[in-house]
Amino acid sequence: MTDQTHRNDVVVIGLGNPLLSDEGIGVHLIRKLSENQDKFPSVEFIDAGTGGMNVLHLIANRKKAVIIDCIKMGKKPGTIRQFEPTDVQTTKKMVHFSLHEADILRIIELSRQLGECPNQIVIFGIEPESLELGQNLSKTLSDRINAYLADICNELC
Amino acid sequence: MHNNLDINVHHITRVEGHGNIVVNVKEGKIEKLQWQVPEAPRFFEAMVRGHSYQDIQTIVSRICGICSITHSLAATKAVEAALGIKVSEQADKLRILMHYSEQLQSHTLHVGYLAAPDFFGTPSVVPLVARAADAVKTIVKAHRIANNWSDLIAGRTTHPVTLIPGGLTRTPTEKQLRQLQQTLKDAVPDLKKIAEVVLSVAANIPKFERPTEYVSLKQTTPPTYTFYHGGVTSNDNKGAVLPIEKWHDVANEYMVEQSTAKWAKWHRDAYAVGALARFNNNAELLSPMAKDAAKMFGLQKDCCNPYMNTVAQLVECFHIVETSIDLIDQLLVRGLKTEKVTSSPKAGKGAGCVEAPRGILFHEYEFDKNGKCVAADICIPTNQNHANIQKDFEKLLPEILDQSEKDIRLKLEMLVRAYDPCISCSTHFLDVQFVR
Repeated sequence: MTDQTHRNDVVVIGLGNPLLSDEGIGVHLIRKLSENQDKFPSVEFIDAGTGGMNVLHLIANRKKAVIIDCIKMGKKPGTIRQFEPTDVQTTKKMVHFSLHEADILRIIELSRQLGECPNQIVIFGIEPESLELGQNLSKTLSDRINAYLADICNELC
Repeated sequence: MHNNLDINVHHITRVEGHGNIVVNVKEGKIEKLQWQVPEAPRFFEAMVRGHSYQDIQTIVSRICGICSITHSLAATKAVEAALGIKVSEQADKLRILMHYSEQLQSHTLHVGYLAAPDFFGTPSVVPLVARAADAVKTIVKAHRIANNWSDLIAGRTTHPVTLIPGGLTRTPTEKQLRQLQQTLKDAVPDLKKIAEVVLSVAANIPKFERPTEYVSLKQTTPPTYTFYHGGVTSNDNKGAVLPIEKWHDVANEYMVEQSTAKWAKWHRDAYAVGALARFNNNAELLSPMAKDAAKMFGLQKDCCNPYMNTVAQLVECFHIVETSIDLIDQLLVRGLKTEKVTSSPKAGKGAGCVEAPRGILFHEYEFDKNGKCVAADICIPTNQNHANIQKDFEKLLPEILDQSEKDIRLKLEMLVRAYDPCISCSTHFLDVQFVR
């Protein structure tokens, strides 16, 4: 079993469904980052899929959590933006938890209330171009994969 | 009694996906009362066509972020049935252990995070921390144990990676299983604490009954409170158990105008699946601690109060933990072996069935001689419950029409939530506005 007391201080979590084109960008990036695990021995990379509330456990008692997700920010498709939870407010119509639509901002709030939230949380949001059924990213996003990786790695150095 | 009432709940909260409740009462007469599911179809059956039999379980695991292990297991069983692939006794037991981990994950999540706020009268679990911090922390702890358990056996908390046709790609060590067993033994007092907390607010569980057909798996050899093996039965089926291949005769899926999701019916005009269905069809086979928990809540066989599904889930948590402790003993006594799994493609068609936390789940696939999928059919538990939710609404509303609009709305929402529906789980993306 995963030993909660001996986990890496830093976790990078990719969220999304890779069967819905750009919705899976977080998962695609985690796969790429995991290929370079040896460069980041103290970092744990996790493909959390659409695991929703499970993120609560994945970030618990870490020093730093980096979350990568497809986010509608009203920006140009392909735009990556780095921010902290306090920089944004959710505009979801669902005001309380559902299971899979578990809003990451509310999970972070619950983590805080439970006293187990990392001191530092960084979110990388990537604006989608396509959310159609399909296992491939749109060209707009796939052309920028290396730039996204550079931004994220920069945060981990 | 309301002469006029207009309730329009768009996107009911604390359920998975999007469902609407529409109530329209004019001059004391119910003009419209609907449980609507407006979500777009997701076409997973089309998506797996052309893929190898070895990849199906990986793809369909992404149908759901809560029951991904369940979907993978149903798919793997269907693939194995189609291709005639055998599974060792060790792999079979480990898969059941894997499946239990997800049941516990999902049940603690539903009971603790989604249903408990209704019983406590809070809008969500976040404000519940202020009111019942210890209770929330205990629930989070139990949920965390279940997640770590899935990590160990499935290789990941969600979207399992160890499951392949014919077996598993990884066997846990005896030391890991002993640690897990100890963790589960230590979790028993926590489960009792959760049960006591829920019992303390159980008076808020609405008292409503409607005679219902309950459909679930039933395993007769050996008699087991099953989530994984066996055939299909119902309380209307006079004890008969149908083989899984006959699942179309059970579900009888059909379309209705008010829903984009299919509805289902068997002997009556609707049926229910889920923890209460399993309980009603198999309660005598529960573990001793689970039977004690049922007694605590006065939950008895033939219960037809849908709100008690949440209690049945709690009862099952005890069964899952107690049975898993025993299952680990069985694995350790026979000794764990590293098993090499091989399989080869051939043409065939097969069905697989397991109990998802929220009810019975059917998968069926057909493959060509190269092992490429040519057809798929998936019938999820929530779709099997939609018609039953509607029928419950139709009996419930006239009984509560003299209550306040707020209470009527809450009772209808609570009813939907009691079924622990999973309307869609593939999209989760966040909409945000920057505040600075």
